[in-house]
Amino acid sequence: MVSIHVSNLSLVYRLREKLTLAKRDRRLPTGGRLEGKGRTQYVTALDGVSFELAAGDRLGLVGANGAGKTTLLKVLYGIYAPTSGSVEVEGRVDALFNISLGFRREATGRRNIVLRGLMNGWNMDEIEARMEDVIEFSELGDFIDLPFKTYSQGMAARLAFSVATSLDPEILLMDEWIGAGDPKFQDKARNRMSELAEKAGIIVLASHNHGLLKKTCNKILELESGSVKGLHLAEEWATSS
Amino acid sequence: MFATIKSALADICAGLRMRRVWIALAQEDIGDQHRRTALGPLWLLINYLAFAGTFIFVFHRGDAGSANYAAHVATGLLVWFYIMETITQSVSLFVREESFIKGTTLPLSVYVMRLAMQAAIRAGYALAGCIAILLMSGVGISFAWIWSALAILLILATTPAAIILFAFLGAYFPDSQFVVSNLMRIGMFLTPVFWTYEGTGGVQHIFYYWNPFTYFLEIVRMPILSGSLPANAFLFCAAASLTLWAVALMLLGRFRKQVVFVI
Repeated sequence: MVSIHVSNLSLVYRLREKLTLAKRDRRLPTGGRLEGKGRTQYVTALDGVSFELAAGDRLGLVGANGAGKTTLLKVLYGIYAPTSGSVEVEGRVDALFNISLGFRREATGRRNIVLRGLMNGWNMDEIEARMEDVIEFSELGDFIDLPFKTYSQGMAARLAFSVATSLDPEILLMDEWIGAGDPKFQDKARNRMSELAEKAGIIVLASHNHGLLKKTCNKILELESGSVKGLHLAEEWATSS
Repeated sequence: MFATIKSALADICAGLRMRRVWIALAQEDIGDQHRRTALGPLWLLINYLAFAGTFIFVFHRGDAGSANYAAHVATGLLVWFYIMETITQSVSLFVREESFIKGTTLPLSVYVMRLAMQAAIRAGYALAGCIAILLMSGVGISFAWIWSALAILLILATTPAAIILFAFLGAYFPDSQFVVSNLMRIGMFLTPVFWTYEGTGGVQHIFYYWNPFTYFLEIVRMPILSGSLPANAFLFCAAASLTLWAVALMLLGRFRKQVVFVI
């Protein structure tokens, strides 16, 4: 059964002073809370986050820049290991964080579909079976046999979205993905997300586009400096915000 | 410690299950590096032949001590280029793969094996050139070549461990990229790649005996040149390989989930 259980999740990491003679890099992470002084500074990126999602849920993550939305998505995906608390994710997960990530600029769109499929753990037969569907949905037509670097931002986004959703994820994590693509494709993408959710999947979507979240999600998790400010039903949140 | 090694082995097993990914990516890497060139990856072979040819032409003295000088240089360069390129590339591995490490859940061993595979493909082209030089230099094919083949397998088996070690070094100590690449450039002159040691002592003796790379070169070279098995060098290399693997497993188990925060 597809589900996500997050209980008292915290993510704290140390800002390392690298052993280097070069001038210290004073850039600090954009989010979370910074604690400690001098050589040992810690960033509390997430603090005591708890929520549960069941099949069919579409959760919208909202909050200011640096509130922890992307970090939470990356913990759910398994890129960051939680410092404390527990994260239980049941179901096949795919994520759309960065449009060009995982795509090779020199390779054709078709070859990139194969590579992405392999990275998702699919074998060649499974990839071949879905190839035409991905190409058709992306509306790339003959461009699919041209190198990825010749694609516009919108075309790249369409291919990324098509690949991520055609490989039948049970849980889809998305970070501000919908900025690219024309309105027609955005409608199509929204429909596919609804289909995914109807197929008893879970969608977690981080966005600043409140209109989109109202249309797409049924639950809203509001984050502030790494902590949960509120977990609302989308209708309640839409009327109060 | 048990949990650390278990975590490292889990990463490696997951990486091995995804072998299609790193084989495909390594092929793409080699293709990308030579895309739009007329000769493609054949440049790898030409590069090797140009180096070997220059060394043979410039340093060949024609005396008795260097009767097999061409074969000496051909085997030396084959192994040295492989070691040098692998180590130099390893130090910046995790930094180069930053977007993947921060955006996907691929096990770190996928990146390690991708680099190992890439290095093996590159060395394959050099190997073709090496065999050509060996045959032209009049070295007869003998059963002792099997020892050289085993030596190459031992080096290939050590490669992922060395990559893991240097990749973590580069991720945690960024300056090491430059230290290592300079050392490897100098190392070519401090290792008997193109010079021969004839037991005359002095500084050469130190660089010959106290240089671990010497033994990795000799296990491939000696069986072909002298038809004998350098048993001690083999034992040293096997021990070095096991040590590297032990350190690599500890590093991988301990830091594989932390590396995303430091790059």
